[in-house]
Amino acid sequence: MDKPTNYLYILDILKNEMSYSRQLLIKRSDISKVAIGILVAIMLFGFFVVGFDQGQLFSLVEGKQAFDSKWLHEFTHDMRHAAGFPCH
Amino acid sequence: MPLVFHVTENELDNEVDNELSMRTLPFLVITIISGAIAGTILGIINLGIVEPYIDKAIELETQKDIQAGQNVNLDEIVGYRIWQKGGEIVGGIIYGISLSSLFGIVFAYSRNSLPTSNDKVKAIFLASIMCFVLFIVPALKYPANPPAVGAPETIYYRQGLFVGFLVISGATALAAAAIILKKIDGTTSKKISIACAIYGAVMLVSYLVMPPNPDKISIPIDLIITFRFASALTISMFWGILGLTFGTLWSKFKPHKFEKITAF
Ligand SMILES: [Zn+2]
Repeated sequence: MDKPTNYLYILDILKNEMSYSRQLLIKRSDISKVAIGILVAIMLFGFFVVGFDQGQLFSLVEGKQAFDSKWLHEFTHDMRHAAGFPCH
Repeated sequence: MPLVFHVTENELDNEVDNELSMRTLPFLVITIISGAIAGTILGIINLGIVEPYIDKAIELETQKDIQAGQNVNLDEIVGYRIWQKGGEIVGGIIYGISLSSLFGIVFAYSRNSLPTSNDKVKAIFLASIMCFVLFIVPALKYPANPPAVGAPETIYYRQGLFVGFLVISGATALAAAAIILKKIDGTTSKKISIACAIYGAVMLVSYLVMPPNPDKISIPIDLIITFRFASALTISMFWGILGLTFGTLWSKFKPHKFEKITAF
């Protein structure tokens, strides 16, 4: 799981008394890059919303007024203080 | 006696595709659900433990504004307070999922290096380290403050300092872990001491070099100190619950199962 390679196939050709048999062992797989991408996006978005928004996010739809009303900021405000983010 | 699959190359490819999609989904679900659970509990606990101090601080702040002759609209403040308290649990869930996403990524990459063979122990161990690196250490330099501390003019500057210190702490911890895992040979205790020494040295220098929080404190220091302890208590509890929930779900659903079957 901690190896950068996608899949590691160990091809082992064993000779036994009766016949040759080809043995394929799947050793380990990589962590899905898609999953990591999704988690990074969630992390950054959540961190911004709880820890840093000063009206920026709602200003995308609400315009400049969002920086005064700061609805999203106020909504996550108490958690922001409790989690140690700078505020006020 | 090794477990051996007799399969053709074609069968193998199908197998691999199926396994990959089976592993990714439980991994994502476990990560998000455990963050949501721990975050909900954090929100509920905060309503009981931290809110009284926030109320008190806002009360003092409002009194100060009134004394300073400012026009204070009490109805508006009451309205905002209801909205803010309503957001405590939702905020907890967003915060929880955000941190559990990071936790899930770190766990997935570090699982093989974490101590013991028990996933619950691994998860709680990692959660303790991440709590220390991402909360306790940053809080020593830039501790949590209740409302009434903090000038609006300096908010972006303070956010910059906070993020800077947080990133230094996280990156140093990662680097220290990478160094002992890849470059150092020796006993576990030797490796742990080296990692702690690297992390401690970098953080000590950063602590001394980074500028202090520029804001003056104008409300009773007792209130601030109690608030900081309440914050540290609930956030540490959050990390504990996150590690326990994540580890329990991981042991149950085993997103790494594919690896385990064949890596004997
Ligand atoms: Zn605030």
